[in-house]
Amino acid sequence: MENNTTSNEYVRGTLKTIVLNLLAEHDRMYGYEITQEVKDRTGGAIALTFGALYPVLHKLEQEGLLLTESVEVDGRLRKYYSLTHTGNETARTKTNDLERFIDAVRLLLAPKNLATE
Amino acid sequence: MKRLQENRIDQISKYLQANKLDPELLPEILDHLACEAEESLWDGKPFEQIYRDMVKTADAQTLLNLSVDHQNLLAMEKSLNDIVFENRNKSYGAYDLRKGYGQTIQRSVVMGVAFFLLLVMFPKLYARLTPDPKPEDIAYIVEATPVDIIMEEPPAPPPAKEELAPVPKTVKSLTPEVLPDSKVEMEELPPVVEDLESAQPSTATVDGADNIEVIAPPVANVPVAKETAVGVEKREEKEFVHVEQSPQYAGGNEAMAAFLRKNLKYPRPASQAGVQGKVFVQFTVGSDGKIENATALKGIGFGCDEEAVRVVKMMKDWMPGKQAGVPVRVRFTLPIAFQLD
Repeated sequence: MENNTTSNEYVRGTLKTIVLNLLAEHDRMYGYEITQEVKDRTGGAIALTFGALYPVLHKLEQEGLLLTESVEVDGRLRKYYSLTHTGNETARTKTNDLERFIDAVRLLLAPKNLATE
Repeated sequence: MKRLQENRIDQISKYLQANKLDPELLPEILDHLACEAEESLWDGKPFEQIYRDMVKTADAQTLLNLSVDHQNLLAMEKSLNDIVFENRNKSYGAYDLRKGYGQTIQRSVVMGVAFFLLLVMFPKLYARLTPDPKPEDIAYIVEATPVDIIMEEPPAPPPAKEELAPVPKTVKSLTPEVLPDSKVEMEELPPVVEDLESAQPSTATVDGADNIEVIAPPVANVPVAKETAVGVEKREEKEFVHVEQSPQYAGGNEAMAAFLRKNLKYPRPASQAGVQGKVFVQFTVGSDGKIENATALKGIGFGCDEEAVRVVKMMKDWMPGKQAGVPVRVRFTLPIAFQLD
């Protein structure tokens, strides 16, 4: 739980970019798939809770970056998300912005982290 | 992959509904939780434990936050109308009208402005669409049937004038030919002196007699002496109006009056019309006393004129008028009076 809360604190600012980036790699994804993907790729370091993910997805949808389609799977309605054209461009710029930010943060954190590494 | 049984899914769904999750979010969250649960089942966990873990992660607060976030998101799109009609009958027409109001106004403004502009610009547009008439353009083509125009020949200048003008006025003057007497023709001879002498006296006498004859009738007192002097030589055929001795009815005026009374009959038309008056009958008494050329000079009509003439013609011979003792023809006018009783 502690890990989750700390990760959640950083994830909150980058979640939008993460989701856009993941969707840019796949044609379409549904909510649970995204959480699983994040979990698998980070080895469980970052765990997205549905409580944090879905508001972001809905916000992006409202901004016109995502398209949704509901497909019935196993008797349940599954909502798939895919990027729109503007969503694609936004994903690219946001990813670049985040990478530059991480680089900058890394530079800031480097002296202290060197000892631990 | 293991599937969740229907009743399990219903259980999760009921849990979500109990925590007042927004109905719009329900299918998505349900799917997410179901997927998680199935994943856990795959790992071999019993459903009871899974459910407990699920309730722990998806606690009431988390679900409430989700709902609130969603509501906030929708609120950004929500208009005043949605708030006004929050708990009202939206199927009633007013909501649709209000919802479409903005669009309607926008459309009507665009249409109105477009129409107004079109109205204002119409003359210019029309002028632009219709090409300007060029000076060499032909506006109308009228097919004209060929008309034969015959040149009127100008009146030929009178050639006679030219010919006449130079000709000078000439007078026939021939040089007299000298010929022997025998060949000279006598054309017209002036009256001979002897003829003039013989004629003049004779014409003078004749003229005198003619003049008297013409002038005499209108003049009352013609010197009779002169007439008699000339009249001797005159023939008796001449008709006189005034003579020395007027002609007379044989037996005198009384006898004539008696004759007329005896023979005259009052014509019926005249008596019926009550006509009366005098009929003047003119006739000539010959030198032998016979009545000739009896006519009514002036009558009263209604058969009276004819009756008077008839009776006059019936008269016996008169005593002819005499001029210098010689009986002559005398014109006589006799008035015959018709009088009703």
